[in-house]
Amino acid sequence: MEPETYRNEVENQWCPGCTNFGILAAVRKALAALDLAPHEVCLVSGIGQAAKLPHYVRSNVFNGLHGRAIPAATGIKVANPALTVLVTTGDGDGYGEGGNHLLHALRRNPDITVVVHNNELYALTKGQGSPTTPVGEKTRLQFTGVEIEPIEILATAIVHGCGFVARGYAGEIDHLSDLLVQAIRHRGLSLVDVVQPCVTWGERPPAWYRERIEKLPADHDPRDRAAALGLAASQRERIPIGILYEGPPRLVFADRHLKRTSGRALASLEPVKEDEITSRLARFRR
Amino acid sequence: MAKRVLMRGNEVIAEAAIRAGCQCYFAYPITPQAELLEHMARNMPRLGRTFVQAESEVAAISMVHGASAAGVRTMTSSSSPGISLKMEGISYLAGSSLPAVIVNVVRGGPGLGNIAPAQCDYFQATKGGGHGDYHMIVLAPSTVPEAGELTMLAFELADRYRTPVMILADGMLGQMMEPVLLPDPVDPAALPAKPWAATGAKGREPNIILSFDLDPEGLRRMNLELQARYRTIREKEVRHEETETEDAEIVIAAHGTVARIAKSVVRMARAEGIRLGLFRPITVWPFPYEPLRALSSRVETVLTVEMSAGQMWEDVRLAVAERAKTPFYGELGGVVPTPKGILREVKRHVG
Ligand SMILES: Cc1ncc(C[n+]2csc(CCOP(=O)(O)OP(=O)(O)O)c2C)c(N)n1
Ligand code: SF4
Repeated sequence: MEPETYRNEVENQWCPGCTNFGILAAVRKALAALDLAPHEVCLVSGIGQAAKLPHYVRSNVFNGLHGRAIPAATGIKVANPALTVLVTTGDGDGYGEGGNHLLHALRRNPDITVVVHNNELYALTKGQGSPTTPVGEKTRLQFTGVEIEPIEILATAIVHGCGFVARGYAGEIDHLSDLLVQAIRHRGLSLVDVVQPCVTWGERPPAWYRERIEKLPADHDPRDRAAALGLAASQRERIPIGILYEGPPRLVFADRHLKRTSGRALASLEPVKEDEITSRLARFRR
Repeated sequence: MAKRVLMRGNEVIAEAAIRAGCQCYFAYPITPQAELLEHMARNMPRLGRTFVQAESEVAAISMVHGASAAGVRTMTSSSSPGISLKMEGISYLAGSSLPAVIVNVVRGGPGLGNIAPAQCDYFQATKGGGHGDYHMIVLAPSTVPEAGELTMLAFELADRYRTPVMILADGMLGQMMEPVLLPDPVDPAALPAKPWAATGAKGREPNIILSFDLDPEGLRRMNLELQARYRTIREKEVRHEETETEDAEIVIAAHGTVARIAKSVVRMARAEGIRLGLFRPITVWPFPYEPLRALSSRVETVLTVEMSAGQMWEDVRLAVAERAKTPFYGELGGVVPTPKGILREVKRHVG
């Protein structure tokens, strides 16, 4: 499959030069590398700039409520386990409004991949502080600087034994698409936080991040929890990217659910035949 | 003498809240009320008061719940989808008899809708919205200066009746700039005491603030007490405005932004010899049933115009009953009716 397979004709609403384009390219590239046909994939999102990504991919798309992408994705995956389900969310959508859902997804472990476009602010609503804005950073709303500590979600995921915890950079498309391939292959919840500088509202230009991004050393062992925790903490001096942590195998939510129910998926990738629909509907007619 | 300043509706609501002695403001960003948050973020800390950008609307209304129980004047604001998230909290505020001010800068719905002005949250605001037998007082300003006046009033009414009060604005009112004469600030320290508030029980019996009673007889009494208060509010707090209704053969019933547009339609129609008037509810809960009933026996037609599919229209028909014809004209999805469009509707119903 080619990345072009996932291109559609939807007009893009992002600002020119937005680093979200890098994430979009990486998503298309990863899906192609996995040889997934568009109908085998469902991209799920809430509201925000990040949440627009599914609009620009030729695949199944579910664009729902602000903050609620993860529960929607959980529902989609449990109804149709054959789908490859990817959530694209922002740091506001995924860590703020929907933060509680992420915490519980870490417990529930659905087989979905959560990609967080972390631009350290609320971009769609024009630049307010978000749960990942560093202390002291001035924003459109925090005039004298953000006062409260940023959320340490990657560390939280590690503490919860999440099977796949990674950090990527929107400017490193090949590296990011590689991370996404592995995240999607992982059975269970995968969390990929992507450093995504906002060129319109961000305090610092992409170059500032570029200078600090560094790939994890080859000898980093993703099963080393303590080392992973050290790398996960948000810090400003250097920003390590790569697979931080791979937790021990855990039961996957849909499997557990299927075992308890009929054992059959509620939906599949097979299209429902038209006569089947007609005969089903006929049962309700008198 | 105080001087007029040019301000946006959202800013005027924020400034009026400050002048009304609002001590704590909690909100989550959403368009089209961003300027309200900005004004509060800029000014509350300067005055030693609290501004919090919460992690969600649910958090913000619950912060209001806490601050209100602690006895201070408090407010939150949002726009339609965010207000839906606050509904559970509003029901608890009402059930606990706690004062609070909630601003809804309404946008097109349902669902995500859009960010254009609309009046489609009327039912949600006036008929419950959250669960249980409760009402909020709902004030519907139609100009920027009035948005300020009604915000001041909202805090008074909230405290007087220990009830949540909503300012029902819309995207147009929020964004529009008009000259306003800002009211004198209230000194929060000089406000009447709240002997029911949870302020520390030293030297007195503890105050208990609840929205529940597991004993049906007890909950019944609580509900009856609420209903008695709503009766008083209906008797004393109904507000409305009439324009050129004395000799009118037809009147427009409209609130908020639409009423403002309808006012120019009255002038246009009068210039053409059509005896048109305007009936504008200022409190949409309690709705001015009595004044509209009285007016409806003098006119032939009450044309309801709304930016909704006919929500206030239900209240208009309840008030008018069979005394006059009650046609409806509504625009949906964030489309604002034009004076010409309204005049065309008026003409369809006269002569
Ligand atoms: C219930 C609700 N509250 C608020 C909003 C307004 N809103 C839209 S997107 C957004 C946050 C966007 O920030 P983030 O998730 O970080 O994504 P970004 O735009 O930065 O990519 C907010 C608050 C909304 N649409 N719905
Ligand atoms: S506002 Fe920022 S994140 Fe949103 S599209 Fe523009 S550059 Fe990208």
